[in-house]
Amino acid sequence: MTEKDKSATADSGSHLEWAKLWETMAESSSRMAAAWSESMAPFMLARLSEKPAGFGDGNELSAAIERMAQGPRLADVWDIDRKIALVFGAWIEMRQRLASYNAVAAEPWARASKRFIDKMISESAANGAPPLDWREAFAKWSEISNEELVRNQRTDGFLQAQKELLQAGLQLRSRQDDVSDAASALFGLPTRKDFDEVTRQLTELRREVRTISRLVRDQKIEGA
Amino acid sequence: MSDQENQAARFASEMAANAEKIFKATQFIANTKDQDVNIGTTPKHLVMRRDKVELFRYEPLAAATAKTPVLLAYGLIGRYTMADLQPDRSLVRSLLSKGLDLWLIDWGQPGRTERWLTIDDYVDDYIDAAVERIAQETGHRKITLLGICEGGVFTACYAALHPEKVKNLVVTITPIDFHADVKDEAAHHGFLNIWTRSLDPEDIDKLVDTYGVLPGEFMSSVFSMMTPMRSLTKYNVDLIDVVDDEAKFMNFLRMEKWLADRPHHPGEAAKQWLKDLYQENRLVDGSFELSGRRVDLRSISAPVLNVFALDDHIIPPDCSRALGALVGSSDYTEIPLPGGHVGLFVSSKSQGKLSQNIVDWLVARDASNGTGF
Repeated sequence: MTEKDKSATADSGSHLEWAKLWETMAESSSRMAAAWSESMAPFMLARLSEKPAGFGDGNELSAAIERMAQGPRLADVWDIDRKIALVFGAWIEMRQRLASYNAVAAEPWARASKRFIDKMISESAANGAPPLDWREAFAKWSEISNEELVRNQRTDGFLQAQKELLQAGLQLRSRQDDVSDAASALFGLPTRKDFDEVTRQLTELRREVRTISRLVRDQKIEGA
Repeated sequence: MSDQENQAARFASEMAANAEKIFKATQFIANTKDQDVNIGTTPKHLVMRRDKVELFRYEPLAAATAKTPVLLAYGLIGRYTMADLQPDRSLVRSLLSKGLDLWLIDWGQPGRTERWLTIDDYVDDYIDAAVERIAQETGHRKITLLGICEGGVFTACYAALHPEKVKNLVVTITPIDFHADVKDEAAHHGFLNIWTRSLDPEDIDKLVDTYGVLPGEFMSSVFSMMTPMRSLTKYNVDLIDVVDDEAKFMNFLRMEKWLADRPHHPGEAAKQWLKDLYQENRLVDGSFELSGRRVDLRSISAPVLNVFALDDHIIPPDCSRALGALVGSSDYTEIPLPGGHVGLFVSSKSQGKLSQNIVDWLVARDASNGTGF
């Protein structure tokens, strides 16, 4: 057997090894996917049908997904599934926080309505005149509503609900970025993190160049 | 006809008239092109470009009254076009028509590429490079800085760190004490201060790290929240009020164009703005650092003019007024004017007042202190 033939045999052997390894990985990946869908999917579907409006109270589903996705990481499989599960968990959490925020943000409207109606009734009774035209009535409604909305915005409850909504929104966006970065990496494209790293280096380099330019200029002025 | 029937008839008639006006407004918008809605039109020419930042010099509109060049610096939240909305509502045009040599530093449209820029870069690099270039072009050793809002903070920091290059400092609607909102009893003032303090520093880091910037749309939504009913009515009830007057309607569209043109705030600079200043109030205690140096406002030796709006819901007046107790200059003037944060620049009522105050003050100092050659 020539050296060339030996090399070809060795190549074909290593191709076989790779093929076997790939097959094993694919099998284990599909077993895990099946196990996951058998365990989680029915649970999720059941919860969705129970609480279609966004999983309402408790948020156990979000916590369950977090527990599952935060489990030990495997080197070669299931990474993208884990990332997608985390996006789903963050989306549920965000819906929950949005519902809480909407509840707090809706409070002043009820107060404004009551105040407005009381005012209209008292003014009608006092003047004995028909209610104002729509323009005046709207101006009063707008003034009262604005007062109530502004007052509500300054309450601890509102600020806390808004902060939690922001946190949940950022968590969702951040996890979406992880999926997007994984997809970019899959196709050999630079990710957001790569871009940020390049711009960081560029910014620092520019600062160094400009500092040196200033030093040179100042030295020239001193020497002149 | 009974009172109730009369009332119902009147209501129906008014609603029909309103529907017609809304239809008219819709048609007007459909027939107007974006290119017909012009802002920032006062003639100027480009003198220098540094990264995305551009230095412009405005064409003179009148004989010089104050010879010292004036550099206008807006903040990074919104754009300078607020000061040049339309010919009859333009601080820029008004200053030029009163004889100032006006220059503009335009930050452009920062994006994720500018993520790592800090306030240090804006003050010690971009403003400094602009000041150097103006000095080179005009022969003036010192120039006047005119800062608006966040730009006022930048120029105040520059005047503290480079007093030898600043002839006068004019700041308008500029926050200095970011916690002074607590003194303001007006319920609609200072929500931005309260909101920022309600966040954890880690929330701000996460916001910037996630987007790479402080997104312009995000700040727009915070500003909309500050005037809740106005934000809800501006595209319906408010339109009814202006649709019969084409000039007013175009003014409305120009304001909309300015509002829509809200660039992203560079990321690291946003962290300094929100954490170091809004949360930790470091300008007041002198612990704010730029380029490794503490910004001590007592180092400001140039004459200072501080103009603020008495009904400013974004920068409560007390936040601006605080500068008086902190500057080192013995020549300090404060001018509180009626109006709001934006209204001070764009309302028909305030036109002329702001520019006249600034020009009178500058002309007096130009005459008394020499020209700074």
